Amino acid sequence: MAGPSPALVASREADAAAASAVKALQGNGQLEEARERYAELVARHQRRAARIAYHYLRDGAEADEAVQDAFVKAYQHLASFREELPFDVWFTRILINGCLDRIKARTRRERWLLPMTGKAGGRGSTVVQAAEAGSTERDLTERVAAGGLSPEQALLGRERRREIAAALGKLPERQRSVFVLSHVEGRTSREVSALTGLNESTVRVHLFRAIRKLRTLLAPASDDTATKAPGELKGKRRVTS
Amino acid sequence: MSLLNRLGRGHLDDTEMARLWTTGEPHAHLESCADCRGRYARFDSWLNGIGDELRAEADEAFPTDRLVVQQAQIARRLELLERPARVIAFPKAARAVISGHSNVRRWVTVAAAASLIAGGFGLGQIVPLRTAVQQQAAAVIKPQPHLTTAEATKRAEEFTAEAGGTKDDELLSNAFRSRVTSLNALDELTPHARDAGK
Repeated sequence: MAGPSPALVASREADAAAASAVKALQGNGQLEEARERYAELVARHQRRAARIAYHYLRDGAEADEAVQDAFVKAYQHLASFREELPFDVWFTRILINGCLDRIKARTRRERWLLPMTGKAGGRGSTVVQAAEAGSTERDLTERVAAGGLSPEQALLGRERRREIAAALGKLPERQRSVFVLSHVEGRTSREVSALTGLNESTVRVHLFRAIRKLRTLLAPASDDTATKAPGELKGKRRVTS
Repeated sequence: MSLLNRLGRGHLDDTEMARLWTTGEPHAHLESCADCRGRYARFDSWLNGIGDELRAEADEAFPTDRLVVQQAQIARRLELLERPARVIAFPKAARAVISGHSNVRRWVTVAAAASLIAGGFGLGQIVPLRTAVQQQAAAVIKPQPHLTTAEATKRAEEFTAEAGGTKDDELLSNAFRSRVTSLNALDELTPHARDAGK
């Protein structure tokens, strides 16, 4: 994995400058100016934060709340931010901790919910999942109307995403975190290590295991025969023919 | 690396490609084998495709207008942080009256007792109730005059003389007859011990 790109370095310098300015303004009691300056940081990191929260929580409304909470918390505790750490790393850590707290709370809450036995959710699914299924149905019609995709393409795309999401959901918590942060968000192993508190080599091991498991889980849907070793393919053909 | 790979077949399997992709290390076989290079390229694009799908999914859940709304909500929440929350006090009177240990309740009790005492005293001053009761009692109860032994003997003799030849039975009957006139009828109906011997 390559190091941070020049664009990323420039962005981080801008973040550090903005964070320092907000901190100074907060210290001087110029709160309105501090908020205005902080809005720059919010605008710069909002989409990335929303992606991370969404992949952790798999629920738009909850991810929205988690992102808001994280930005408010970061603003309140900006005095404890140290400039030697990039702002996005510091902020993402706050966000991830918030998401993990929400997941814990949700698990506790769902312990008291009866599982849905209908077709919509399938076996073992909960009310939340059924609601998600309903929202996905609505999303599909909206997407087809707005995106200019054919209904078939939209349906296939949706199926594909559902498979990927399901496979990602089957990964253990740490593997999923590492995969999302390093692969979806493009973080380096060192950054993921700083974000998750794991050792750098442990991050690589988790990433490797996550990829291997995803490969196994998504193999039927993907172009698997093309990536099998020729020897394995020959063996397979011999068995089947 | 598996034993088969080491023995010369050497083509990379999925696990090996995942390891190479994760670490980014160069691999001698991958450099030399076009087949494996092709498979590795497909593996790479498959993995990148997953990343793209996941990003696209999250971006669909958070379109630009939703992010704008979210930004406004964050700004509002930050603004609210700086304003101290206005706390509306719970009505104290209601709590004080309900509470058993409040000063208000104590004062109310003392005031009620004091007003009762003052009212009673005032009423006593206005209405001479005690005097009226004493006068009424004096009118009802007339004390019997005490008789001396001589007077009693004299009255007994007079009574005997008046009775003359009357029998003892009549005397006894008169003595026990009810003095209340309204009960005389009832007395007539009641059997008496004096009649038992007749």
